Order: sequence, then structure tokens, then C-alpha cells
Amino acid sequence: MPSMLVIQNLQARVEEKEILRGISLTVNAGEVHAIMGPNGSGKSTLASILAGKQDYEVTGGSVDFDGTDLLELDPEERAAAGLFLAFQYPIEIPGVTNTYFLRAALNNVRKARGEAELTMTEFMKHIRSKVEMMELDPSLLSRSVNEGFSGGEKKRNEIFQMAVLEPKLCVLDETDSGLDIDALKIVANGVNHLRGEGRGIIVVTHYQRLLDYIVPDFVHVLMEGRIVKSGGKELAHELEAKGYSFIEEELAAAR
Amino acid sequence: MTTDLRAKEDTFTEIFNAAHAVLNTLADGRFADVRERGIHKFREYGVPTHRDEEFKYLSLRNLNETAFQIAYGATVSRGDLTHPIVAIDAITLAFVNGQYAPELSTADTLPDGVYVGPFEELPFEVDQAFEKQFGRVANLVGKLGTTNDERFTYLNQAFFADIAVIYVPENVVVERPIHILNLSTANRGPLISAPRAYAYFSTNSQAKLIESFIGLEGNYLNVPVTEVVLESGAIVEHVRVQDETLAATHIGTHAVHQDASSNYTAFNVNFGGQIYRNDLNVWLNGSGTETRLDGVNVGTDNQVMDNHTRIDHAFPHCNSFEVYKSVLRDNAQGIFNGKIFVYEDAQKTDAKQTNQALLLSATAQMNSKPQLEIFADDVKCTHGATIGQLQKDALFYLQARGIPKAQAESLLVYAFANDVLSRISSEAVRQALENRLFDKLEVA
Ligand SMILES: Nc1ncnc2c1ncn2[C@@H]1O[C@H](COP(=O)(O)OP(=O)(O)OP(=O)(O)O)[C@@H](O)[C@H]1O
Ligand SMILES: [Mg+2]
Repeated sequence: MPSMLVIQNLQARVEEKEILRGISLTVNAGEVHAIMGPNGSGKSTLASILAGKQDYEVTGGSVDFDGTDLLELDPEERAAAGLFLAFQYPIEIPGVTNTYFLRAALNNVRKARGEAELTMTEFMKHIRSKVEMMELDPSLLSRSVNEGFSGGEKKRNEIFQMAVLEPKLCVLDETDSGLDIDALKIVANGVNHLRGEGRGIIVVTHYQRLLDYIVPDFVHVLMEGRIVKSGGKELAHELEAKGYSFIEEELAAAR
Repeated sequence: MTTDLRAKEDTFTEIFNAAHAVLNTLADGRFADVRERGIHKFREYGVPTHRDEEFKYLSLRNLNETAFQIAYGATVSRGDLTHPIVAIDAITLAFVNGQYAPELSTADTLPDGVYVGPFEELPFEVDQAFEKQFGRVANLVGKLGTTNDERFTYLNQAFFADIAVIYVPENVVVERPIHILNLSTANRGPLISAPRAYAYFSTNSQAKLIESFIGLEGNYLNVPVTEVVLESGAIVEHVRVQDETLAATHIGTHAVHQDASSNYTAFNVNFGGQIYRNDLNVWLNGSGTETRLDGVNVGTDNQVMDNHTRIDHAFPHCNSFEVYKSVLRDNAQGIFNGKIFVYEDAQKTDAKQTNQALLLSATAQMNSKPQLEIFADDVKCTHGATIGQLQKDALFYLQARGIPKAQAESLLVYAFANDVLSRISSEAVRQALENRLFDKLEVA
């Protein structure tokens, strides 16, 4: 079976600043990849470029998603094709209720998949089990998207949206930051629920703790716009114990 | 230049001279003196220029360049009335070009003592209530302000034909909305029309008022004046919808008098007019009042939309809250001037004013000027203005969830305007206005 996502030598910059300096990463259906790396190393940039944010200029490389050139698609086409980004900083949208927003999203995605749109009643039925799984306070559904949500509620809402949209490839950008222990378990449970079933998952995180719950198949270290080391789940433990300096030393020694 | 202007001011006088004999046959000539004073006062000021402070950003040169004639009653059939606001179930009082149109009005059984009709022989209490404040609510004499400008109230005073009169007696609650429907059609050349309304809500009464200005055809100048009186404890929600033709000039005065402990909410929603200007003036005449002034303006093409509001906090312990929003596209221009006067005795005033504009094109413009004049020391007055484009981050977030760009944009515009519209208590009115908003912006 061909790989789901193939990123080859991806380079990108903002204005004159080079951020990604040649990233290559392959994700197969069913795999969970963790990406770790110091602040400012380019993790969110990579995630945003995958989702289609226009602020970045791709200066080289390619991204293939299920046989199509991902970089050619508009953000909404990427979502329709099955890509989902859980934002590091979810956006507040006053005046649009969570329910309205999510139904519009789901129906657009369904339309693109050739499925029938859901009525409000069908939609409410569709999301019920997901609300329960994410232990989401139902009142959040009738509130404006993310407006006034606590940090943890925002992150949970992202995974809730992901559970509702059932994407093929999930990209989670620091979904664990700002979560208390219980919420972390709930979020991890939500992600694990989507695991397998031919899905690919990329988890960006700073902490080993999340990876105790969402156990990755691969761990990659991103530094200064490059993946400088890849390994299994034990690499995350090593990073937790030693910090990033040991990798810097390794790299220096290799030069 | 000056001579030019004078010649044109005389145009309105000429129209008046030709028309006042006919106008004076209305109401047995009861308003003959009022009209004379009106045209006399208007002549003193003439058509404003940019040098007139209250018209600094608004060009009304077109008034000097158009050969207006006095409005005539025109025949409008129900089939011509396609505007969604007309479909609202309400006690409806219709006027065409400022003249009463019984065939488009509803004949309803009203609660005891309630009057909704044109000015004619009024029942005794209604006539008393009329005499008490007619012409006074809109008057700024004796009120604060160094640039008070009432010239278009005077112009209305010279030219108004019929008057929409609404009277609700003490303690009466009118459940169905009362709709003053003003239709304009100028199918035989430019007209001037001057709708006039007087609504009186007695102590502890409650009502919902819809006032609409709907353009059907042509170029005309509409100079309506509406006076609203709330006696103590009255609760009134007033939705004013302006949707004139895109050739029309609408210069309105909407004046409100609130006695102690009354509660007044105005929604001022504008879609139409080549040039739209409205002065909404609220005089707070006692303590413990609540006032909410909300506005939504949707401007496209070369429309100019100018809202002036003023709230006179003359007594202590009054709250006023104001949110005006504009969505402007193409070359549309928005103007907002929000005055809040807090008089010396008006301690514990709580006034909040917000003005926001969403510019959907690089050539749309907004001028916003809050004007707070405070003469008491123990008060809370705030104002804020923001002018911006659609938020890129929000747009991306919606798109990243699969919502196509055009739909995402309209969703954000809707959210912006709906913050105000959603507070309208009647679902049907809200729906009608939302539909009109989407229709106007040609979005799904
Ligand atoms: N729109 C932008 N304009 C300017 N600089 C940017 C922009 N986006 C990202 N950068 C810069 O690119 C670098 C990488 O940022 P990015 O957000 O991808 O880091 P990150 O690895 O996600 O960091 P963190 O762990 O703190 O979330 C940073 O130096 C950041 O300041
Ligand atoms: Mg980041």
C-alpha cells in the first residue's frame, strides 16, 4: 500500500526568515508519529503548512497526500481530502455557535466525500457519543466557537471536532499543553479512539507524558527546521531525561 | 458660490410656496403656522456644506443639483411589496410618499384605548398626548451642544403631509408589533417627501414598534421625523429599517423622550439609500432609565451611511448602552458620530458606546467620531471604535475545518452583524433582516 503522507525535502520561509530547511517525513496509514523539538524549531510551521496556511512561502520540496499534491489544494480542500489540524492556539469566533460551525464543517466534508448532508437532528445524534467521549460540557456546544473557553476546553474542543470529522490524517499541535491530568487522559483517549482504522496521526508535543497515553510508533526530533534524529518511543524517554543538548552534542561530534 | 446656494435654498421655498395651500387643507390647516416656521427656519440654514460641523463628512451637493417636486400620493399595490419586513405580522399603518394609504394598512381591533392611525380627529386623551410633546421631542433648544443642527427637522416641519400617530394608554401591553410602513416611489421624477410619526407610550405601557422606510422606485429625498415619548416605566422596543432605493437620499430625525424608569431599545438597521443620514437623539428626562441603541449598516456600491446619535443624560442614575456596526463593501462610506452629554446633575450615569466597522474591500471607508461631553464627576462613560477587515486567522480556521472560503467569509460577516441583530426580540423580524443582509451581500 502506498504511503499516506510523503513529505520530501520541504523548505519554507516567512519573509526573509528561513524556517523549514528540508524536512522529509513519511507517514503510513495506521502509524502514530511524534514530533518533538525546542521552541521555535518549526513544528507549528510544518503543521500550518500541511493545513494550508498562506503566511508561509514554500521554497522547495513536495508534499504528497494520498497521491495528490497537497500544496496545490486550498485549506478547505485539504480538510475535505481528510486532513485535520488541531491548532496549538484555537481561534475564537464570536457570533458563530460551536454547533452551527461544526455542522457546516461536517456537511462540507461529507459533501466532498459524496455523502448526504445531515439535518440538525441527525447531526445532534451523530455527535452525542463524541460529546460523551470527550466529556464536553454540552453548554459549550451552544456557545460561540472557543469564545471564552478555558485553555483546556479549547483543546478538548479541537479533539472533539476531530472525532466528529473523522479525518484520515490527524495533526495535533501541542494539544497537551494547558491540560490538567484528567483532561490529558480524556484527550489521549479521544485520539486513541481514532487510532488504527487506516488513519495516520502526527503528534507535536514537548512532553513525554502525552506519549505515555498515546504511544507513538516513531519519534522525530525537529531542530532549526530539520529532522535531526528519528527513533522509536524510547527516544522520547531519552529526550525527557537528557534534554536536547545531547542531540546537539551528537550533531557537533558528527560534523 | 454663495449666490448659487441661495438660489437653491429658494428652490425648497419655491416648492413650499407652490405646495403649502394644498398642505394646509390637511388637518384643517392646523399646522399652517408650524409649516411657515419650518420653511422660514430651513431657509436660514439652507443645504449644509462641509463647513457645517454636523455635516463635515457628508456631501449633500446633490440636493442643490436636483429639481425636486413635492411628493404626490402614488398607487402601490400589495403585489409591489416584496420586502421581507412587509411580511411581518403586525398592526400596520402604511404611507406612500408621506401620505396615508389605508388600502395597505391593517384594520385591527386594538386593545382598549390604543390608537394607531393617521392624524385626524383624535380621541380626547390621544389629542392631549399629541399636544403635549408634538414638535418638542425633536427640538434641541435648551439642550447642550454648540453645533446643534436641526435644519432637516425644519424641512420636515414645512413639508410633512399625514402623521402616523400611535398612542398606548397607561398599563396597557400591546403584544403584536405596530408597524409604520413608509413606502416611497418616484416614478415621475425626483420628489421630496416628509413622513412624520408621533408615538406616545403612557406610564407602564409596553409595545414593540417597527418603522420601515422602503424604496420602490426612483430618486427622491426623504426627510422623515419620528418623535417617541415614553412616560415613566414604559418599555418600548423600536426597530427602524431603512431600505430606500439606491438613488434616494434619506435624511431622518429620530427623537426620543424618556421619563423616569422607562426602558427604550432602538435597533437601527440600514441597507438602502445613495445617501443615508439619521440623527437619533434621546433625551433622558428622569432617573433610572435604560436605553439601548443598536445599529447595523450594510453599505455597498457608492452608498454613504451616516449615523449621528446623541444621548442627553440630564438626570442621575441612567444607563445607556450603544453598539453600532457597519459592514462596508465596494466604495461604500460609513460615518458615525456618537454624542453623549452628561449634565451637571447626572451623577452615577453609566454610558457605554461602541462603534465597529468591517471593511470588505480596500476602497470602503469608515469615519468614526465619539464625542463625550461630561459635566458631572461621578460617572462611568466609555467608548471604543474599531475598524478592520475580516480576521485572517478566523477565516483560516473555518477553511481548515472544510468550510469553503466564500461561505467562511459570509459566516464571519453574519457573525459580526448578528451580534446586534440577535438581540431583536421578534424571531420573524430578525429572520427578515438576516435574509435581507445575505441577499444584499449576495452570499449564501
Ligand atoms: N508568521 C510568522 N512571521 C514571522 N515569523 C514566524 C511566523 N511564523 C513562525 N515564525 C517563526 O518561525 C520560527 C518557528 O516557529 P514555530 O511556531 O513553527 O515554532 P514551534 O517549533 O512550533 O515552537 P513552539 O514549541 O514554541 O510552539 C519561530 O522563530 C517563529 O518566530
Ligand atoms: Mg508550536
